[in-house]
Amino acid sequence: MKIVCLLKFTPDVDAFEYDYENNVLIRENIKQIINLDDACALGYALNLKKKHPEIEIEVVTMGPLSVKGLMEDVLRRRVDRGTILSDPVFAGSDTLATSLILGEYLKRTEYDVILTGTQTLDGDTAHVPSQLAGYLGIGQMSAIMKIDEASFLEGAPLVEVDTENHTDTYKIAFPAILSVRRESRYRLPFVRYADLEMDVSDRLHIIDNSVLQVDENIIGTHGSATKVVKTYMQTYERKDRVVVQNDDEGIETVYNFLKENGYLK
Amino acid sequence: MTKTDILEKLGTMLEADQINTDPEDLYDASADRYKKYAKAKKVLDNPIPAAIVYPKDTEEVKELLMFCNENGINVIPRSGKTSTEGGLENWKELALVIDGKNLNKIINIDTYNMQATVQSGVALQHLEDELRKIGYTTGHSPQSKPVAQYGGLVATRSIGQFSTLYGGIEDMVVGLECVFPDGHVCRIKNVPRRAAGPDIRHIAIGNEGTLCYITEVTVKIFKYFPENNLFYGYLVKDVATGIKVLREVFVNGYRPSVARVYSEEDARQHFYHFHEGKCVLIFMAEGAKPIADACGKGIEEAVEKFSDGIIKKVDSALIEDWFNHLNWSQKDIDDEVQEMINNDRHSGYTTEISASWELIPQIYDNVINRIRKEFKQADDLVMLGGHSSHSYLNGTNMYFVYQYNINCEPEDEFRMYHHPLQTIIVEETLKLGGSMCHHHGVGKYRNQWIKEEHGSAYYMLEKLKETFDPNKVMNFGSIFYEEEGAKFQK
Repeated sequence: MKIVCLLKFTPDVDAFEYDYENNVLIRENIKQIINLDDACALGYALNLKKKHPEIEIEVVTMGPLSVKGLMEDVLRRRVDRGTILSDPVFAGSDTLATSLILGEYLKRTEYDVILTGTQTLDGDTAHVPSQLAGYLGIGQMSAIMKIDEASFLEGAPLVEVDTENHTDTYKIAFPAILSVRRESRYRLPFVRYADLEMDVSDRLHIIDNSVLQVDENIIGTHGSATKVVKTYMQTYERKDRVVVQNDDEGIETVYNFLKENGYLK
Repeated sequence: MTKTDILEKLGTMLEADQINTDPEDLYDASADRYKKYAKAKKVLDNPIPAAIVYPKDTEEVKELLMFCNENGINVIPRSGKTSTEGGLENWKELALVIDGKNLNKIINIDTYNMQATVQSGVALQHLEDELRKIGYTTGHSPQSKPVAQYGGLVATRSIGQFSTLYGGIEDMVVGLECVFPDGHVCRIKNVPRRAAGPDIRHIAIGNEGTLCYITEVTVKIFKYFPENNLFYGYLVKDVATGIKVLREVFVNGYRPSVARVYSEEDARQHFYHFHEGKCVLIFMAEGAKPIADACGKGIEEAVEKFSDGIIKKVDSALIEDWFNHLNWSQKDIDDEVQEMINNDRHSGYTTEISASWELIPQIYDNVINRIRKEFKQADDLVMLGGHSSHSYLNGTNMYFVYQYNINCEPEDEFRMYHHPLQTIIVEETLKLGGSMCHHHGVGKYRNQWIKEEHGSAYYMLEKLKETFDPNKVMNFGSIFYEEEGAKFQK
């Protein structure tokens, strides 16, 4: 079985600090991380491979060449192949253009199933998996919380999908795109200490548009139909810190706080 | 010899309830708090000991040691189980943990001669509680006091929070009994002083179970005057200023029971309610009233001399309250284990070193700068700082404290975080001439620098091992570097 995992590297938005004086995010020294939903998808695949070493995993990402180091760390987690789709003409692509670029690569690639996340930390539209499935002509399921292993290995997994009010179970046949949510808590293994300096260059492949031959008029900043009309910064109010003593008054303050905020009934 | 053979033989030497082969307990006995995270996550790869045994008297300790010595079985002496440096970790396929929990009798409290004799499994808290009832104290108060036992305290050269008045354990032990692996039982008598050759107490004190098993200890006791306690706290501009004040107090002959300076980072976690982002300097004076008062006056004079670096005085009630809640109990240890299991994080680690007054600020700066520059996981550090908490006429200690987010598999945690940080601290200390261990002992993870620590004097240490434990059955890998154990370290 071959699994393709689609990953996006995003800024670690949880690590942003907020400048309350000027109402802006402080973006300096923010690390790039694997998008949390995507990390769960890869975590599922790697944990399955641990039990079934014959499973082949390829990780595919689209982005600038600066993600090479992050991709090398992905490969050090015992991923078989890593592919970065990178070309200046890809830059600024909206979700549809991104889906076209990924789709062109995946048309040339053999796979049984594609695993990815549902949403990204920096975009949050959840467009790409479904657009990509449409482009490839295969099934797709979003908001997956659990994938049954036995049926997955048989090629038609039962998946539990989170809806707003309840959980539904579906069966979806391969080939398909399965989009998981971070709440699935499929844990991405860390790079092992012994593998930290592992040379993975022979497993890392960089593909540009000279290979994919996507029409440059329908990708990148100029080819993308999506236009951003306006952006705005959410503002936050500074919360004052309250320090209480370990006495009756302090206990009362903490109790009231918990009650007012719904932690206690 | 196999583990089965060992258990068969133990069955002829001890009662059934003195032999523990419970798998959970044996797993727990294969390592200590140096690998606390891997241990909590159940991924330790240390060899599992054949059994934990609980001798009831010196004779049984002797028989067990002789059996192990004759059959090449690694002995891990254990008492209290609060070790943090790998001292209780097992590196051998055939091993026996000899636990002192049945050696739990207070033999004598002698208030006229101001000494108490206890078996090695007596908990420090137990003796302290008994002494307090009659107006005395052990004067020994490590943070592990509610859990620690005398065998472990003496074997690791432990120190307590009031050391600057009462001394370290080495200043308290007046005599002891210990058993060597060949079965020889040594009793060092209890006298106020002796000049009958080298002070042989120090062969047992700090031996970390690598030479002998301590079965009985006699320690000094002290009159207790809590009503005279005086507390002082100050915010100071930097660690160096705090060190200068500490020095001033000590070189003028004052002996506060507590004298500490905390870096900004360390102060933040200890004194959240008043640190104001500054370094914190604290003192406690105690003893008979005229002595406590005189000591308090000496502290105030020293602070006045360096007033340029003093930002403000802190309410002494805050310092007193903090001291009353400083110790950690078995519940604190258990809570941390649960936190590691549930949330992939722990409360951090410490590494303690010592050096002269002149060198300590340099070592502190060098360590902090090097960690920030070289430590590969520096982004994961959430706290890096330190405090000086034990001072002497000629210098002080530095207790480096560090906490980090754990972004690695549990098996790799000590190799990716704790050990590289400890390595930098030890290397920078040795480079300037300090001691790499102030009071936790060498254990199994600082043994790689033991020759550098002692230099030409290592000859004496090495000869002790060759003489008293020629078969290397006593706590293999602790203090003395062993190539065979490197696979567990690197």
